[in-house]
Amino acid sequence: MLRAPRRGSGRGGRAILVAAAGAALALIAAACGPAGADSSAGSVGTTPVSGSTASYAEEPGLSVNYIFPFVNPNYIDVSNTDDFQYLMYRPLYWFGQGTQPYLNKSLSLADKPVISGRQVTIKLKNYTWSNGQPVTAQNVLFWINMQLGLANSPNEYGGTVSGDFPFNVTNLRAVGTDEVTMTMDKQYSAEWFTDNELSQITPMPEAWDRTSATATSDCSSKPADCPAVYKYLDSQSAGKASSWASSPLWSVVDGPWKLLSATADGYAKLGINPHYAGPVAAHHISTFILQPYTSEQAEFNVLQDPQGGQPIDVGYLPTVDAPQPPPGETAGGNPSTLANYKLTVLYPWALTYFPYNYRDPKAGPIFSQLYFRQAFQSLIDQEGIINGPLHGYGKPTIGPVTSYPATNYLAPAVAKAGDRWELNLAYAEKRLKEHGWSVVPNGVDRCVSPGSGPSDCGPGVPRNAELKLSMIYASGVDYMYSATKELVSNASLVGVHITATAEPIGNIFGAAFCTPAAGQPPCPGWQLADWGAWTYSPDYLPTGEELFESNSNADAGFFNNATDNALITKTVESRSTKAFYAAMYKWQEMLSPYLPEVYQPNVPTLVETVNNLHIGPQSSTLTINPETWYFLK
Amino acid sequence: MTAYLARRLLQAIAVVLLVTLIMFGLLQLGPAAARASVVGPSAAHQEFLLQYLSWLGQVLHGNLGVSRHLGTPVSTLLAASLPRTIVLLGISTLIALVIAIPVGLLQAVRRSSATDHVLRTLTVVFYGTPVFVLGNVLVLVFGINLRIFGAEAPQATSVGGIITDWRDLTLPVVTLSLVTLAIFARYMRSAAVDTLDEDYIEAARARGAGDQRILVRHVLRNSLAPIVTLVGLSIPQILGGAVIVETLFNFRGVGYQIWQAATNQDLPVILGFTLVIAVGAAVGSLLADVGYALLDPRVRYSRA
Repeated sequence: MLRAPRRGSGRGGRAILVAAAGAALALIAAACGPAGADSSAGSVGTTPVSGSTASYAEEPGLSVNYIFPFVNPNYIDVSNTDDFQYLMYRPLYWFGQGTQPYLNKSLSLADKPVISGRQVTIKLKNYTWSNGQPVTAQNVLFWINMQLGLANSPNEYGGTVSGDFPFNVTNLRAVGTDEVTMTMDKQYSAEWFTDNELSQITPMPEAWDRTSATATSDCSSKPADCPAVYKYLDSQSAGKASSWASSPLWSVVDGPWKLLSATADGYAKLGINPHYAGPVAAHHISTFILQPYTSEQAEFNVLQDPQGGQPIDVGYLPTVDAPQPPPGETAGGNPSTLANYKLTVLYPWALTYFPYNYRDPKAGPIFSQLYFRQAFQSLIDQEGIINGPLHGYGKPTIGPVTSYPATNYLAPAVAKAGDRWELNLAYAEKRLKEHGWSVVPNGVDRCVSPGSGPSDCGPGVPRNAELKLSMIYASGVDYMYSATKELVSNASLVGVHITATAEPIGNIFGAAFCTPAAGQPPCPGWQLADWGAWTYSPDYLPTGEELFESNSNADAGFFNNATDNALITKTVESRSTKAFYAAMYKWQEMLSPYLPEVYQPNVPTLVETVNNLHIGPQSSTLTINPETWYFLK
Repeated sequence: MTAYLARRLLQAIAVVLLVTLIMFGLLQLGPAAARASVVGPSAAHQEFLLQYLSWLGQVLHGNLGVSRHLGTPVSTLLAASLPRTIVLLGISTLIALVIAIPVGLLQAVRRSSATDHVLRTLTVVFYGTPVFVLGNVLVLVFGINLRIFGAEAPQATSVGGIITDWRDLTLPVVTLSLVTLAIFARYMRSAAVDTLDEDYIEAARARGAGDQRILVRHVLRNSLAPIVTLVGLSIPQILGGAVIVETLFNFRGVGYQIWQAATNQDLPVILGFTLVIAVGAAVGSLLADVGYALLDPRVRYSRA
């Protein structure tokens, strides 16, 4: 899910691409993040009260514009899914336990799946749709059949990975009304299959299984019927925001919220669904408003004007306006104009990096050399980016699994090693010189010792090859602009000449994830492409098969390493929890120092919550639960 | 007069067609998928002229295409955003004119006086201040510190709701008004100064006409002609300011939608909105010509 300045839509993978995530851009939820620190002043009551309305600022430039939860790549973003659809149409399995990205059993519609060998059994709980019908096994099959029926079409579910779920299961069956069984094509890790495959499912009600207002269909049993059903549901979703609330389709919900009104601008007002069968807090707000903003500055202005027509209860502080945290602190204070708000820091469950294009004819052979990647990573000043343009907010990326929020998934050895690639120009120069490069500070380095020997430039790098690289990066993101300029400057000091160009995020995705098609112009070339980050959603396990396995959906730069591939396979196909973690840790220990991509700092969102609103800990998965929020009197 | 109007109307249509032709030509430089989203997959591989005529045919049937980014018909986006921008631009332009005309006139009458110097300095300041700076300063002072006005534009969806929300409407309107006011006042002063130097003003004085009569009947009427033209021609420029004002004040009007479309390379929206702006500019220019002709009969006769 692109979550960047207006930044759009997912491409090519079931996990979500986050364009330049960033404090600057990503409104996530409100929250007491793991590193949260209440900076507010002023007294508020302590007695929880029920009722009232809370308004929530959507990401700048993004807005609610699609209600059908079977979102194609054009619509899959945090505003449509986490902030909106999930409130009404619950995913089968909910991820987000406190601040951690783990399976939340109490909020899931089904018990944890029982996986034995290749057999998978899903037992549904007693949830009901708002029209009184139960959430059934057939509703689960409806979704899965839709994925099957729309496979390889432009409208396939934005989280689909070709070859993976549901194409890796057979014998899909509804057993009675509350049980689904399936057989996996081979034995997979139970953790992986639950967190990265079944996590995609959102049951859909029978009321949606139709091809017009009057004609019903049977997509829940026959995938062949699904394209026509999709066409009708899509037509009732796209561009029809003002009619959603009164629609007989979209008013059937199983989540804690139902839609009261929406506009084409992205404004949405939701009310509590009294028929929600899940856990309900003793006190909670009764109305929830999603408010779109044209820019982060516009949102910040409103935040500072609590007397405005539509004040914000939960919003975000642009990093550029955030006071620097005191030394050693993870959060600083609020600007003086935000005395009515408390500031918390929320780190997304994401990996922030940018890829090398290993298939670029000129730069690819150079990128393939470990010494070069070591030198290049030493030109990245992650701490400098954090303490400079990010105003002290951010955490260095140290490997293929993010270190913050800290989870069980991060290999202890990798965590212990920390950031091994701090800014070190001397080291970069040394590594290049050791491998046959004539280093010309402020000039352009040349390969003077081609070949495959230990002190040569490496296979495929010709004599006099120059270290002249091109880079495209997302425009409109302040910190990314500064970070790129600093990289260009650092690189020039060791003779690596980078031509960096800011491009709209769509161009970057268009280049990095381009698939050449017959009769179409060739894909645009690129060497380094920085769009921001990858958030792990709706696939929540950072097992690497989507980013680092060769030919995977989101392996933009065509990274390919046999050991890496084998370790990923071993993780995904491990047969016990113990084996799963052992394989995953081993994979990280191998890949972390291998530097397959350029590591960049993980950027948090600075969440502002009005002082008298309690919202509890929010999840790094970016899901929100406003049904648990309440005001204090 | 009828022949004059007909000629001007034909010119306006030609201008609109030329603008769309240029825009459509630029579209050819974009990716094939983007072209297909505008003219349809079947027409995307046709000759340029056929593509253009096909698109023009769609437009004449009211079909401006569908936003690639939002999945919403461009006409729906226009219907939601255009009334807002018309309200914003209409009110701000009107206020600017109401203030600029007497200010310019006053400056001309009191040429080189302290009043003229002060007003000229003020108009230069507003004229030279970027819209985003002016808007931010106004928000900081009046929205955040003094809290007299709202820091964002009205969020109502109806025109009535927007107009009646004066607290939130004030700052975006004032921001745009100050910039356009400065331009109009400077032109008005210049035109009035020229008029005051005309022989017929001296003649009117010699015939015993009073200052007020001279000012209203002769100076004002004759100085308004260039202002009317300027207003018509300023529409695209004012709309440029609206892009910034709408983004700053969270106002989802035409300017903001164009900026979003440009950022996302949403060609159907860019083309559709450009067409509407071109029509607006042509109509503005046409109205200016008509107004000019009404103010100065010599225009319509000399060009007939």
